[in-house]
Amino acid sequence: MSAPTLKLSDINLNDPELFEREGAHEVLRMLRREAPVHWNPGGEVANGFWSITKYEDIRFVSRNPELFISSKGIAGPGIRPEAMQNLGVGAEQQNAGANISIIGMDPPRHVKMRRLVNKGFTPRAVNAMEPEIRRITNEILDKIDGRDELDFVLEVASQLPLAVICGMMGLEQKDWALMFDLTNKVLGSGDPEYQTDVPEEERGTSAAARATAMRGVGTMMEYFRNVLEDRRKNPREDDLPTILLEAEIDGEKLSEGDLLAFCFLLILAGNETTRNGISGGLRVLCEHPDQKARLLKDMSLMDSAVEEILRWVSPLHHMARTATADAEIRGQQIKAGDRVLMWYPSANRDEDIFEDPYTFDITRTPNEHLAFGIGEHFCLGAGFARRELKVMFEELFRRFPNIELAGKPERLRSNFINGTKHLPVRLNTGR
Amino acid sequence: MKVQVNADMCEGHAKCEKAAPEVFKVGDDDVSVVLVDDVAPELMEKVERAIRMCPRQAISWAKS
Repeated sequence: MSAPTLKLSDINLNDPELFEREGAHEVLRMLRREAPVHWNPGGEVANGFWSITKYEDIRFVSRNPELFISSKGIAGPGIRPEAMQNLGVGAEQQNAGANISIIGMDPPRHVKMRRLVNKGFTPRAVNAMEPEIRRITNEILDKIDGRDELDFVLEVASQLPLAVICGMMGLEQKDWALMFDLTNKVLGSGDPEYQTDVPEEERGTSAAARATAMRGVGTMMEYFRNVLEDRRKNPREDDLPTILLEAEIDGEKLSEGDLLAFCFLLILAGNETTRNGISGGLRVLCEHPDQKARLLKDMSLMDSAVEEILRWVSPLHHMARTATADAEIRGQQIKAGDRVLMWYPSANRDEDIFEDPYTFDITRTPNEHLAFGIGEHFCLGAGFARRELKVMFEELFRRFPNIELAGKPERLRSNFINGTKHLPVRLNTGR
Repeated sequence: MKVQVNADMCEGHAKCEKAAPEVFKVGDDDVSVVLVDDVAPELMEKVERAIRMCPRQAISWAKS
């Protein structure tokens, strides 16, 4: 029996379930081959958009942040203007705050805002933090020592990035679980598992997703208003909210909205993507026992293994941009105002760039993947993400070399975040 | 040919220093500086690689 043939006309990358069941790679492979710049029709609510699937084209869009702007939304196709009214959704609510944080800002303001905090994310800052990252990692691993089976996402992968970013933000440890919960609500709003504020029979709908995201953003807003209020009265040294409160751009302090959006972004981006890099990384290593064995035998391969994990997993499925003028990509005419989605997992499997792209090879060189994007909006936290993955796998494999998968991973229903919600593992310590 | 680093963009990833150590050095302030006035022809290829690899795309040839 042969599988049903995929048809170009059936392709819809705005279907989160396609990504949940891991069907996207097959679709993206076909697009790269047959329609590398592909018009994905919209629906009743969603805009249509261009799918950009080739590595060089994603570089081109990323390197032209004035032609392809972020301020009209960075995730998903966006809502059709005519649908917006029916839904009662305002333009600001639509992007759940992303339109005013740096991730949704354009030049020249983007760089000015980013420079307020970027010294805290340089290689030097990451090196200085490494002992702390290792300490936290071992604290997390102490807690699972002696156990047999556990959920690697909840108990390990999510805990490290959460502790690191919450530490940098100066948040009390009792609030970290709330940050985890709110991150899931905002970034995983389309997944019924996180739609706990919506009656059960309504879960799984796009209205439930919007309600969940809005509720998450609302709670987060309230929380960070209090954090900012506290830091105004009790400024702290080296804590990101304090740095932001004291910062000025062109002689002006940041507005409350700017401050809140910045805090949201740091918390959301700081804990979700790295979590998925760690859990996706463990999964791919366990699914390729030869590669895992090779790494365990020679841990000096860790840096290159981390790069291959990043290429393979691509923790973000896409970033969206909007064209400000007519443009041409690979012969396709993009109109001013058109939405463009850059599919990173596709760039990172591009046959024109990577030899045997479907082979997981921890020694792959060169490996110039685009998992962190490139250019103006290159991931601010890339250095921390890389180091957290490296330290986690060093310590995890030192202490639990025989760790293996103990069941099927449960994936997030999202075409934005390449998330793993649950990953059952067995430690096999032989004790 | 002259090459330049946009100091507003640079975040000290040091990819350029790795690709062309004769031309770029990341200073104590995490910003890469150009060490040479003119890029020698034999270093052009290395500089091209640095330009391509820079995560922030902060390096470019200076228009003379």
